[in-house]
This record gives sequence, structure tokens and C-alpha cells, in this order.
Amino acid sequence: MSSTSRGDAADALIIGAGASGSVAAKHLAEAGFRIVCLEQGPRVDNSEFYGDKPEWELMAQKRWHPNPNVRDLESDYPCETSDSDVNPLMYNAVGGSTILYAAHWQRFMPSDFRVRSLDGVADDWPFTYEDLEPFYDQMDLEMGVSGLGGDPAYPPGKAPPLPPLPIGKIGMKAAEGMNRLGWHWWPGPNAIPSRPYGGRNQCVRRGTCLTGCPERAKASTDHTHWPAALQAGAKLITGARVREITVDEHGLASGAIYIDRNGRERRQFADVVIVCCNGIGTPRLLLLSRSRLFPDGLANSSGLVGRNLMMHPYAAVTGSFDEPLESWLGPAGQTIQSMQFYETDASRGFMRGAKWQVMPSGGPLGMRAAYGGKPLEEAWGANLHRTTRKVFGRSFEWGIIAEDLPEEANQIVLDPTLTDSDGIPAPKIIYRNSENTHRLIAFHLERAKEAMQAAGAVEMSVTPLMRDCGWHLMGTARMGKDPGTSVVDEWGQAHDVPNLYIYDGSVFVTSSGFNPTGTIAAIALRSVKHLIAHRANQKVAA
Amino acid sequence: MSAQIDATLRETFRALADVLIPAAEGMPAASEVGVHEAALDHILGLRPDLAERFFRGLRAAVGQTPEAVARKLNREDPEALSAIGLAAAASYYMQPRVRALIGYPGQENRPADPDETPEYIANGMLQQVIDRGPIYRPTPGR
Repeated sequence: MSSTSRGDAADALIIGAGASGSVAAKHLAEAGFRIVCLEQGPRVDNSEFYGDKPEWELMAQKRWHPNPNVRDLESDYPCETSDSDVNPLMYNAVGGSTILYAAHWQRFMPSDFRVRSLDGVADDWPFTYEDLEPFYDQMDLEMGVSGLGGDPAYPPGKAPPLPPLPIGKIGMKAAEGMNRLGWHWWPGPNAIPSRPYGGRNQCVRRGTCLTGCPERAKASTDHTHWPAALQAGAKLITGARVREITVDEHGLASGAIYIDRNGRERRQFADVVIVCCNGIGTPRLLLLSRSRLFPDGLANSSGLVGRNLMMHPYAAVTGSFDEPLESWLGPAGQTIQSMQFYETDASRGFMRGAKWQVMPSGGPLGMRAAYGGKPLEEAWGANLHRTTRKVFGRSFEWGIIAEDLPEEANQIVLDPTLTDSDGIPAPKIIYRNSENTHRLIAFHLERAKEAMQAAGAVEMSVTPLMRDCGWHLMGTARMGKDPGTSVVDEWGQAHDVPNLYIYDGSVFVTSSGFNPTGTIAAIALRSVKHLIAHRANQKVAA
Repeated sequence: MSAQIDATLRETFRALADVLIPAAEGMPAASEVGVHEAALDHILGLRPDLAERFFRGLRAAVGQTPEAVARKLNREDPEALSAIGLAAAASYYMQPRVRALIGYPGQENRPADPDETPEYIANGMLQQVIDRGPIYRPTPGR
């Protein structure tokens, strides 16, 4: 094994260069920390994306698919999903899943942090919306968020720094329907610049955000944070797959062992280790890091590492209209959103709610994806042309992000046989939707059908649960005040290992019904500022 | 990859593609826009993962009527038909003539003017939402 000496130890070792790792790297490096970041994926160049090429939809189904099991790249790790209702989605590269995310830059609502107090289920977070608000504000600036202030679904606050992106014909059509019903809607906030911002280009509305932005517009953290982090001296090592976080004889984290792309095992020492590998990769690594002092995995005295996995079941109602709506046009990105049915109303027969959003429906090939297994004459032949003429460019979807509550049975474990390309055990996902989730989705689908009808849809189709929807990976190393019922404290510091931190979506106490990256980034920023402020008191390995 | 597409298999693909995407409803058949020609080699080059299912389906189809084979594959080997259908449809919808007929310019570069007042503000649509007031529950004690 090749090894750095203790003399080469980083002040902080960050594992994972995605959303939270990028925020940590930039701010720690700028505060003078010696930073090393290990990222198992490569750097991605925007010219690799197909969004500006005719082959876009063909490549979206494989090379740039968000499901690592479909992509099957060496830089990915496989996920065993036979016991899961939902497939986890992610991307492994500098920028992490922000490379392929839709950049819906949402804040949680105040009630999301007080679920137990308000609704009597799950748990409260150890801080409030108001505690996090300044960090939301700063992340809006760092990412370059486009949107419109004044949304009555939120307390009064600062508007996003950039004007909203256009909502297009599909957004207008959906909004007209919502107004007929007297239901909430608002132009969606997106981490996609409506004018040039921070070295990135203005969005040109290609609508290919989910397969990578060829315009270098979308706020992926390889562009928003890594240039500044590197400028400040952070060292970024790509192709570095960590297999274990090491500890010293006192139970303090001492660094990590990783495998480079030449198959060599290497060791990096550090005073502080920050894990930013997402809600699946983080518990996987902690469970892999078993030792004499931590026989059940690192920071796992509570037994909660890997448990309480939340992935946001996603349902949708698609409507087609008898007029052209240019429904391939971006951003994608969201055009409008609704929180009409977000807050709990116990009379509906379930707790909590969901955010809705309208997104473009892409090109003609993507429409074909739902036709597998149908009779030949229905899927192909003259009917193919009739369907394309009727639906293509004339349809949009009300997507429903259902809040799933934490349940210990939903979890990540190490698979006994499946491994990644370096022979490291892969994660197995055990995840089932609860009765509350089923009821929640059924209610929201009925309301979304009403919204679609009010907008004038001539035909509708319903997707009760999309299997490839697990973008939002949360809860598997939850935060809390009690070491018996949580893995980290409100600053991401592991209760069991005082120089081990977790900054990604693993720390979420509940899932909300929102796209989580804005909150992941704000929590990472809050945590890293606390770490910087308390640097002098930080315990480190000898 | 293209070396595997001999003349017989290419012709088999052409015939099968025309069953899946026939001339109808004012649209050309797949072969009319050349999905079996260089475009096919291009697609299989970009998507080598399709090859095994694609060729499995075509080899099973050689010498049989394309309509019967399409039905049989749909019933007995839908993965093979899916690969063949994806190659045909991807190529078809990439053709400029087809895109023009369905009114699809591709994922276009059409930036908006960020300083333009959105229609939903100018016409008062959003004001209706604002007028209904807050819909969030505040943090308890705030």
C-alpha cells in the first residue's frame, strides 16, 4: 500500500466531490485548511453531454442515464435493488449528482423541521427553518438561483439573485388550470442562471438538464465551487475509491484507504474526515469501516447507520392538449410548482404532503419509453404516428414528490455477494413504501388529475409510482441531539467519533416533499462554518 | 460493429423497421428516410450495449415475413424487439425530414430575455395566488 505520511496529513479529508463535498472544500480551503478530496468518479467536460446533439435521447437512455445500474460505468458502484420499490439514482463525478440533477433549487418549509411537534409523527430537526435561512440565502448566491420572491408558501425573505426563467406554454397552461381551481402555484426556483452568472452562461432552454448541461449554464458544483476551492489550494484526487475510514487507538478518525484507477491501494491521513458520499454511499462507507473499536461500522453505536432511508416516491399525471405547447422546451428545470397540498391535513387519511412541479416532456423518442410490453399494433405501426401527432409537443406532466417518513426497516446494508469493480461490497437497498405513502400518493394523483382537467387536458395518463425516481437519498445517518437515536449532531459531527463529520443528505431527519439539494448545500454550509469557527477546539488523531 | 451487419441482416432490419414504422398518417416509412443505412451503423456504434439483443432478434427473423417476426418477437423476445425498435425509432426521429413533419426543431437554443416582464405578472395571473395569502405553517413559537 502506498501511503502518505502523517506529515502529509490534510487538515480535512473530504470524501466525495458532490454538492456537499464541494461546498465544504471551497469554504474550508478559503479558510486556510489544507484540504484533500477523494472522488471516485472523473471530471466531466460539458462537451461530453449530448443535449445539443441529435443523438441526445438515444444517449440519455444509457451513457447519461441517472441509474448507475443502467449506466454501468467503472466509476459507478452497483446497487442491489431487488428488495426496493424504487431505484436509487446518482452520478459519480466531480460535481456528483448535480451533473445530472434538474436543479430545482428548493427550500424546505418551516413545518418540515418540526414534523413531530406539528403532526405527531417522525421527529423534529435539531434546528429550525429560521436557523437555516441565512445559509439558504448564501447558497442562492453561490449557485446563482433564478426565481421570483414572494411565494406565499414561504415566510417573507430574500428573493433569488436572478430573475425567473420563462415558464413557457406548458407552465402557463398549468397555471391557468390552477387559477381556475383557486390553487397555489408559483414560478419554480432553479439553480440555472437566467443571465450569465459567476462564469457560467445564460440558460438557452435546451431542456436537457437531466442529462448534463452542454451550455455550461446549470449550476453543477464542479463549476460553482470547485474552481474557487482549487484556487484556494484544495487538492482534488479523482478516480479514488475509498474502501475504509481508518481510526487510531483512541477511536478518532485518522484518514482513509482508497484504491486508485491503477488498482493501487493508497492511504491519506487527515485531522478531520468529512463524508459526503450521498445517502447511500455514506452509510455504505461507514458500514465498510468496521474495526476492533467499531465492530458494527463506524459511528454506529446507535445502530442507525444505513437506517431510515428516504427516497421520495414520485408519481405523475401526464396530460395532452389539443394545441401545440412546445413541450420539449426548457428549462428542465421546473416551470411552475405547487404547494397547495403540501401541509398536513389529517382528514385526508395520511400525514404530510407533496410538492408538485411541471417539467417539459422532452423529445419524441423519450415518449416511446412507456410502450414496452404493449400489443404491437398499439406501440408501433400507424398508431405510432397517430400517438406522436396527438401527444408530442402537446403534453406536460404534473410530477408529485411524495414525502416519505423515516422508517428503520428502510435501509442500506452491505450486499453479501455484489461488489464494485474494485471488489468492495456494494450496497443493498431495502425500501418499501408505507401505507401512509400509498394513501398520500393516491390523494395527490386525484388532485393532479383535477388540475390537469382544469387546464384543459383532452387525455390523461397516470404513473402511480415511477421506479427510476430515487434521486433524493436521505436519512441514513440522521442528525439529532441524542446519541442513542441519531448518528450525528446538528453540525454533522458524529456522536461516536468527534473528528468525523457527515454533510450530505444522510443527515436528514425527515425528507420533506422537496428536492433536497438546496437544503443539503445549506446544511453543509452551516456545518462547515461551525467547523471553521471551532477549529481550535477540534479533537484530532495523534 | 458495422462489420456484423451484413447485407442480409441489414435487409432484415429494413423490412422489420418498416413494419414498426410504416408509411402512414402522412409520415414516411422508416426505410424512406434511410434508417437501415449509415444511420444504423452510427447508432450501433454509439450504443454497443444494444448489439447482443439487436442481432439476436435479427438472426431469428432472417427469411421470415417481417410482420410475423415482429409479432413473435413482441411475444417471445420483447427485449430483442425493443433493441431493434429503439435503433429504428432513434434513427427515424433524428432525421431532419421527420422532425420537420412532426414540428420538432430538436432541443433548441432559444434563450429568453431575463428583463422581460413575465406574462403571468403582466396579466395578473400570479396576483390571484398572492391575494389568497400565506399557505405555510410557521415554526411553532415564532
